[in-house]
Amino acid sequence: MTATKNWKLFKDNLGPQNPIFVQVLGICSTLAVTNVVKNTLVMCLGLIFTTALSNLALSLIRNSIPPRVRMMVEVLVIACMVIVVDIYLKAFYPDISRQLGPYVGLIITNCIVMGHTEAVALTSPPLPALVDGFSAGVGYSYVLLLIACCRELLGTGAVWGVQVLGPHWVNWSIMVMAPGGFFVLAVFVWIVKGWGERPAQKAQA
Amino acid sequence: MNARLKESLRTAGFMFGLTLVVITCVSALQLATAERVNRNAALFLQRAVMEVSGVPVPEDPAAVGAWFRQSVDAEPASAPIRFRVRDAATGAVSATVYTRQGRGLWGLITAVVGLDPAKGTFRQIRFLDQNETPGLGARITEAWFMGQIEGKTGPFVLKPEGTRSSAPTEIDGITGATITSAAVRDMLNGALLAAAKEKEAVK
Repeated sequence: MTATKNWKLFKDNLGPQNPIFVQVLGICSTLAVTNVVKNTLVMCLGLIFTTALSNLALSLIRNSIPPRVRMMVEVLVIACMVIVVDIYLKAFYPDISRQLGPYVGLIITNCIVMGHTEAVALTSPPLPALVDGFSAGVGYSYVLLLIACCRELLGTGAVWGVQVLGPHWVNWSIMVMAPGGFFVLAVFVWIVKGWGERPAQKAQA
Repeated sequence: MNARLKESLRTAGFMFGLTLVVITCVSALQLATAERVNRNAALFLQRAVMEVSGVPVPEDPAAVGAWFRQSVDAEPASAPIRFRVRDAATGAVSATVYTRQGRGLWGLITAVVGLDPAKGTFRQIRFLDQNETPGLGARITEAWFMGQIEGKTGPFVLKPEGTRSSAPTEIDGITGATITSAAVRDMLNGALLAAAKEKEAVK
């Protein structure tokens, strides 16, 4: 029973409640870090780690958090997780850490993390909270990776640094700059919404 | 009143306790990785010095370290502000690299600037540390910006971005990042001044 409930929670975050194209949260990082697939993957892993563990930690202590300071507690726990990620990257992947620069630290203010701790972690037992945090991270990640693949392919003719398109390919420089993120995200949302909402409209008509 | 006071104390105590736990965890991790982080920073500096002196950088970190020990004199050794890079074959000084700092929009910018002492021209610049706005000031780390001083004599004045001036005293600034661009210009001119002073002292 609980297993199916957790599975539903997991699926919801990938599709109908997806943080990026349904809730439109965390767009800042979506635009900023998706120009190269490698950086995007690191950012996504960092976010999955943060959402999952901060949800779990806050759910464990949810009954003893004084209601007046609950947001301070949330930010404190989230910040701790993010700093762990940041220190880890600095120590073991210095080049990626340098390229991501301030964006890892900005996970602290990512609306997805805060939103899920507010909405789920403070009201649910640890296991569903962990599942929710993890799946929200995964839902965010696959959308970002798709966008990153598009942008890197069109912008540099490569995916994961491996040249895919031939020498005749002319790079669309705008794709690796910030506006490229807007375009690809918008097209993505358009496709998903257009394709996803048609059955609902049919049902109404 | 008493109940409210108790509640407040509990809240404050909870916050204090949680903060203590969190800080302990983060500090422990920081201390545990400090040595690795320092080593990474040293390697980054060595690579940067290598790049601005026009030497091709090998992939292997050990090779970079070996080159640095062999052909670079850091002066003063404790907190170097100047590196003399010697040519492997002739032993002559092929590049002088200065560490310069400037005030950017958000914080200090630290860079290494390479000069060719024989020709009196710039080589390149690499940024060791900067916190400028991504997409605006942070664009100083783009290859065209760092490479545009190569072969120029300075002292520099800024031209609008896109001029791509080849005049020996002109560099392109970055649109939307005037303060950052000016800081970099001053750092470059400062390096030139330092080099001139040294020449004077030798005479």
